Amino acid sequence: MSDVAEAIRAEALTKRFGSVTALAGVSIALKRGETLGILGDNGAGKSTLIKILTGYHQPDSGQLFVDGKPVRLGSVDEARAFGIECVYQDLALVNGLSVYHNLFLNRELLRPGLLRLLDHAAMRRRAAEALAEIGVNVPSIEIEVGALSGGQRQAIAVARAVCSQARILLLDEPLAAMGAREAQQIIRLIERLKARGDIAIAMIAHNYAQTLEICDRVILMQHGRVTFESATAATSAAELLEIVRREYRQRA
Amino acid sequence: MATQPAILSPRGVARRAHGFLLRPEAGVFIVSVVLVLYFQLANPNFLTDANLQTLSQFVAAPVIIACGEIMLLICREIDLSVGQVFALAPFIMGDAHEAGLPVVAAIFVALLVCALIGLAIGLITIWLEVPSFITTLGMLFLVTGVTLTISRGFPANTPGGPLITNLLGGWGYAEIVWALVAVAIMHVVLRHTRWGLHTIAIGGNLTAAAEAGIAINRIKIGNFVLTSTLGGFAGLLEAFRIGSTDPLAGGSTIMFLGVASGVIGGTALGGGSGTIIGGLVGAILLGVLQDGFTLQGINAFTFDIIIGAAILIAMIANIRIARRRQRGGE
Repeated sequence: MSDVAEAIRAEALTKRFGSVTALAGVSIALKRGETLGILGDNGAGKSTLIKILTGYHQPDSGQLFVDGKPVRLGSVDEARAFGIECVYQDLALVNGLSVYHNLFLNRELLRPGLLRLLDHAAMRRRAAEALAEIGVNVPSIEIEVGALSGGQRQAIAVARAVCSQARILLLDEPLAAMGAREAQQIIRLIERLKARGDIAIAMIAHNYAQTLEICDRVILMQHGRVTFESATAATSAAELLEIVRREYRQRA
Repeated sequence: MATQPAILSPRGVARRAHGFLLRPEAGVFIVSVVLVLYFQLANPNFLTDANLQTLSQFVAAPVIIACGEIMLLICREIDLSVGQVFALAPFIMGDAHEAGLPVVAAIFVALLVCALIGLAIGLITIWLEVPSFITTLGMLFLVTGVTLTISRGFPANTPGGPLITNLLGGWGYAEIVWALVAVAIMHVVLRHTRWGLHTIAIGGNLTAAAEAGIAINRIKIGNFVLTSTLGGFAGLLEAFRIGSTDPLAGGSTIMFLGVASGVIGGTALGGGSGTIIGGLVGAILLGVLQDGFTLQGINAFTFDIIIGAAILIAMIANIRIARRRQRGGE
């Protein structure tokens, strides 16, 4: 055991869909307070890897460890019980509901009593506190999520994962389809979460420069394998590009 | 205490008034008030006790049905067969009473049968993945056939002593009181329980609801059961009010009035938003039109043209207000 607690580790994961090999023996490890960038082309296996970590898919072989103990994640709910939360590209927010209802979706606070009525006031208060704590600004927590910008919506989605006591946070392209200023908001949010030190973050990304800016470590996935791994300080966008370019030349 | 001055200041009042006017049901409410004034000026008998009773009876059944349909529309489903369940319920009650059950027990048997029809609709829609539009279209014919069979095509007298009869529809305002109770309960369910919130979430973003772990099938099936049961309840109230019941009562007309009440009151046909209060206001608008024109002695054929056009105009206005509200929210 190292001095920094290991949050999650995957060993030799494989996954096939029919005749397609999505993962051909992938091993990764992630520590608390660490941010890992997962790069790679479409079809490299990034999404399959994330979906195995969230319990959405089960690997054909290989083993997962959470806090050093071997676990089997049979469903998204089982993964959630281990503090694993994923923020998907499709943003899992309900546009017609307010910010605070979205933050508490399916984890609503109830007033005491037999009627089990929603405690709107407590949810409003807790939502405002939670957003302030991680530095997310919205015009109002009562506003419908549909009226927010893409960046604000992404921030709310991340905030919801954090509110639900996520200790392992998986982000599926958190910066996709976002303007530079909005992307900066999310980058700052991820940095603040990293600074808390108790959350391990893994993010799928396409933009090399942004990934190197946010992450402590990057892995490059190609054809279902991890073909390159490095601390971000020890590599550069140029090096990563060169590896990918070499791959294309081999294929040609 | 800190918010008190803001509410009382002219600007606070103006802001609240503005917020009210942007609500989907506000425009419909204002149109209803204008229509009431118009009908009262045209015929001073409009705002009399006798006519208000008639008006309340026009409104009650569509409101009760709207309470169910609004929940279904919000989670992107619909029930076309609720008007047929409305017609079936009194006959089930009558048969159960003839078989020896007291009236109150017979009422519960009828409501249970309605609930089971809703359950069947829900299970077929969810498990067999048949769109509810089709499931309930089939159920519409099936239930009509059942009602005609058990009634042999004849109307039947409603059982029950004076107390039960008066409570459940005999007294002129009984039906509207029950309708308002249904509105109050369903408003709380929609706005202040997880059930209501999850219904909105399912209609707003099905993927998000699933990812959050919401029990989508349970909520949809529950809303089908609710709608059929409310439809049967409305049918029973009508039977108690009139004293007899016809196998072709209610039908698609009452279902359409229920759905139209909801949509006129701001429930989105595409799902994800709606209010029970809006359904009440929508039903009042339709009732005022129906009653007002009847009082003026307009020809029945002309009357359908006017009602149809009025529903279209109200829906167009509602959609425009909803667009303005969305722009205002940005």
